[in-house]
Amino acid sequence: MEEGGARMGLKDALPGGGTSSVTGGMFGDGSPTFLTSKIDWIINWSRRNSLWPMPFGTACCAIEMMASAASNYDLARFGMERMSFSPRQADVLICAGRVPYKLAPVLRRIWDQMPQPKWCVSMGACASSGGVFDVYSMVQGIDTIIPVDVYVPGCPPRPEGLIYGLMMIQEKIREESLSRHFEHRAEDPSSVARPHANDAQVIGLTGPFGNSTQQEELSNKEPGTRGELPEELLP
Amino acid sequence: MLDETKTGLDTVEGGPQLSGKSTDSSGGKMDDPDGHPSVIALLSQFGDAVSGHRVFAGTQHVVWIDSACNLEILRWLREQQDHQYDMISDITAVDYGAGRPIEVVYQLFSTVYKRALRVRCKLPLDGLEIDSIVELWSAANWLEREVYDLFGVTFRKHPDLRRILMPHDYEEGHPLRKDFPLRGRFSRAEQTRRALDQSVEHSYIAEEMDLGRDPQQATPIIGTKDGDE
Repeated sequence: MEEGGARMGLKDALPGGGTSSVTGGMFGDGSPTFLTSKIDWIINWSRRNSLWPMPFGTACCAIEMMASAASNYDLARFGMERMSFSPRQADVLICAGRVPYKLAPVLRRIWDQMPQPKWCVSMGACASSGGVFDVYSMVQGIDTIIPVDVYVPGCPPRPEGLIYGLMMIQEKIREESLSRHFEHRAEDPSSVARPHANDAQVIGLTGPFGNSTQQEELSNKEPGTRGELPEELLP
Repeated sequence: MLDETKTGLDTVEGGPQLSGKSTDSSGGKMDDPDGHPSVIALLSQFGDAVSGHRVFAGTQHVVWIDSACNLEILRWLREQQDHQYDMISDITAVDYGAGRPIEVVYQLFSTVYKRALRVRCKLPLDGLEIDSIVELWSAANWLEREVYDLFGVTFRKHPDLRRILMPHDYEEGHPLRKDFPLRGRFSRAEQTRRALDQSVEHSYIAEEMDLGRDPQQATPIIGTKDGDE
């Protein structure tokens, strides 16, 4: 191989070579730790370079997501060659846009239908926190519904932002190890279709920022106790 | 040409005007009905039932009618040869708050005479009922469902009066009413729990679920004219 060839880079990047004289290997002192580390590396390498996104686009963020997939930004360079419109064949759920409460069970069902291993990107302000839609109909962050790995800020984020978020998922996969499989893949079947966050977490996540509406903090006030508006402000 | 389009724009130039303590959006006022034959004919035919007439933004004629005879007047506007309002552009409602009546708004258009007319009916808060006009325009079906969903106005004899935007089992009230708190009546935790408890299929009736199947075998949706006849 010539200097700088593909094989050369691969050899340099392979982790876990050498001996395990310090920690003690699987086959005794001095034996290589080659076997497990190489399986980790191969599996993580193949997973992170063939991430198929499941686009869950509900608003303007979806336009930026489409731009990311189109030729100018070309998500396919990073292995997201195929937008999978079926959750059964998808690895990454990209939730792009606002999610109303009526759509929450749909999002949850799509997440439950995706096979492990799976990751989730919350794209944009509305999916991450409800954004400006701090109202009766809107989910205040999809992390109350499903677990989220990466939040991409922006309103909407630029395609570079989404690509950076997906590359952070790739970094996360790079650090995973089969020995911690159950930690990474923990999923309780009884939690299917249940909120991801418990009540206290939902309250903590959904408190309003600022107060432009004269409502008390968590809007569970009894009906009819709202202060009257000044008469001159009425139409 | 420029001067023609600018006539009647006085109210617009003055900006939004506070009506003070007026409890009546029409103010019982009668603007000059000249230039709109339907308004002239309405005033002569149903003089008692028409309680006000205003011209907004230059050319938009608005008439306030008695809510008890909305069906009769709208049928007359639709079927009279001189008017023929064959298109219902929109049905909506306005809640002015402070206990004032909710107004149901019908936006009509005549494709024959290229003429628009807005008809409004006042409904007191303790009697939010009005006759459905689905028998006149089929398009009114979903529009009236929307008004029912968001304002709580009941349309008598509507063939399929269900919620259309909010979840079918939504129990917090009617969101566009002025007395509805912006973030809803339940806590966010309760709203999240209820949202995930709902069954997606229950928002639809059997005929609507048929829409995704073979159109040869699908049954027509109830409430449309074709389905009833």
